Amino acid sequence: MELIALAFTAFFIENVLLTQFLGICSFIGVGKKRSSSLGMGLAVIVVIVLAAIVTWTIYNFVMIPLQIEYMRTIVFILVIAALVQMMETLIKKFSPSLYKALGIYLPLITTNCAVLGVALTNIDQSYSFVEMLVYSAAIGFGYLFVMYIYAIIREKLEYNPIPKAFQGVPIAMVVAAILAMIFARFGGII
Amino acid sequence: MGDTIRAILIPPLVLGLLGLILGILIYLVAKYFAVQEDTRLDDIEKMLPRANCGACGFAGCRDLARAMLEGKINATACKPIKPSDRDALNKYLDEMVKASAQPASSAK
Repeated sequence: MELIALAFTAFFIENVLLTQFLGICSFIGVGKKRSSSLGMGLAVIVVIVLAAIVTWTIYNFVMIPLQIEYMRTIVFILVIAALVQMMETLIKKFSPSLYKALGIYLPLITTNCAVLGVALTNIDQSYSFVEMLVYSAAIGFGYLFVMYIYAIIREKLEYNPIPKAFQGVPIAMVVAAILAMIFARFGGII
Repeated sequence: MGDTIRAILIPPLVLGLLGLILGILIYLVAKYFAVQEDTRLDDIEKMLPRANCGACGFAGCRDLARAMLEGKINATACKPIKPSDRDALNKYLDEMVKASAQPASSAK
């Protein structure tokens, strides 16, 4: 029951994009097309979960015994960068079309603060291994969910008459703001 | 005294070891999942500044090299390239176009 509450909190109330405002760069950049937003979301889920598992393990079994907890930021960045590099090679091999659709945003997952944010939150909240898995996966799926909704709305917007000054990114910002207001209300549920 | 030395030595050791392990992993992944690409792409990329500045409007130098390979664009698109490199690159691209045009004309 607690795990379900944790997953729900991570998915809706602490949504990584609309409540914590992490990883916004890819949100605006890739959220234009449904197919690429789906691919990006899946790539981010895999990276977040893998990075969370590796960083949690390194922190608890290497860094705490050696008393070098203060090094967590630099170690986590190193691990995440290496993971993304491997992901990129794998995606390039198995899905060239997805590789092309993601373009520059794929290497940018390295600096996507959502990944580092989740890794650090896991440590700050001192989650157990299972809690860490649930939390990271829920955050990842929350990212995918919001990204997909956003892409659907932006695709529909293409066919609507929008004042010239608002075309493109400005109207996308307004959409993001309204979505964020909706997600802010989920905080009242628990 | 021992504690101080320990505190100085352990962090770089851990970080270095971690870097080594990850480096080997990346190497293995890159080796076993390598994608065969046009070797001309590497030739073109070598002549570019490889700063990935993005001034050309493409996502990095490799992306620009790909557009050049498809003949969409020439070396003047690159802003920070050295003039000598630009001339060499344009020559390379011209020769490439000629080389690909010849078999087609002889087939006729």
